Amino acid sequence: MPDNGSYAIAAYIVAATIVIGYAISLVRRSKR
Amino acid sequence: MTTALENAENHIRRGRIIALIGLLGFAGVYLMAWRFTPVERFQGLAQKIFYIHPPAAYASEMAFVFAGVASLLYLLLKDERFDTFAEASAEVGLAFALVLLTTGPIWAKPIWGAWWTWDARLTFSLIEFLLFCSYFALRSAVRDPAERARYAAVVAIMGMLLVPFIHITVYLFNTTHPQPVVVKTDKPSLPWEMLRTFLTSFGVFTVMYLGFVMTRYGIGARRVAEELSDAG
Repeated sequence: MPDNGSYAIAAYIVAATIVIGYAISLVRRSKR
Repeated sequence: MTTALENAENHIRRGRIIALIGLLGFAGVYLMAWRFTPVERFQGLAQKIFYIHPPAAYASEMAFVFAGVASLLYLLLKDERFDTFAEASAEVGLAFALVLLTTGPIWAKPIWGAWWTWDARLTFSLIEFLLFCSYFALRSAVRDPAERARYAAVVAIMGMLLVPFIHITVYLFNTTHPQPVVVKTDKPSLPWEMLRTFLTSFGVFTVMYLGFVMTRYGIGARRVAEELSDAG
C-alpha cells in the first residue's frame, strides 16, 4: 500500500480551514 | 406584520443554526472517514480525499446553478430578493469551489504524480471558479443596484450553463480525471463501508450549503433593507 497519508491529512486540514474560515466570516458579518 | 429587517434577522438566526448542524456533520464525516472506513488497497490513505472532493464539487455546482436560476428569475421578475439570493449562493459556491480546487491537486500529486494537468474537467472547473470571481469583481464595480443586479445576472447565468458541461467533460474528452464511481447508470462500484461515508458527506455538504446560504442571504437582505430605510 502506498505511503501517502500526509497528503490525505493535508487535504483534510485545508478543507476544514476553508469551511470553518468561511463560517467564521459569515458569523462576523452577521453581527451588528 | 414583520418588516424586511426582521425577516433578514430571522434568516440569519435560522441559517446560523443550520450551518452549525452542518459543521457538526462535517466533523462526523471526518470521524467516519478516518475511523470507520477501510483504507483502499491501491491508492492508500490518499483515497480518503475522495470523501471531501466530489461532495465539494457537487455543493459548489449546486450553488452556482441556484445562483443562475435566481439570476434568471431576477431578470424576468425584477424582484431584488432573487439578486440577493444569487449573490449569496454564488459566494457559498466559491467557498466550496475553493475546497474542490485545493483538495483535487493534493490528491493528484501522489496518485497522478503531478499537482495539476490541463485536463478538460480540471480546466473547466478552474474557469467556473474564475467566472464567479469575476461575478464579484463586477458587482463591486457597478454602483447602481439595478444595473449591478442586471449585469451580474448575465454572468451568473453563463456560469450556470457551464455546470452541465463540466459534468460531461469526462465523457466528451479523453481525460485523466476519474469517471464517476457512484452517480452513473449502473450500480455504484464501491463497497458499502465506503459508500456510506461518501453519501453522508453529500448530505452534510447539502446541510452546510443551506445553512451558509441562508445566513448569507440574511446578511444581504439586511443591507438592502438598511439602504432602503436610509434612502427613505
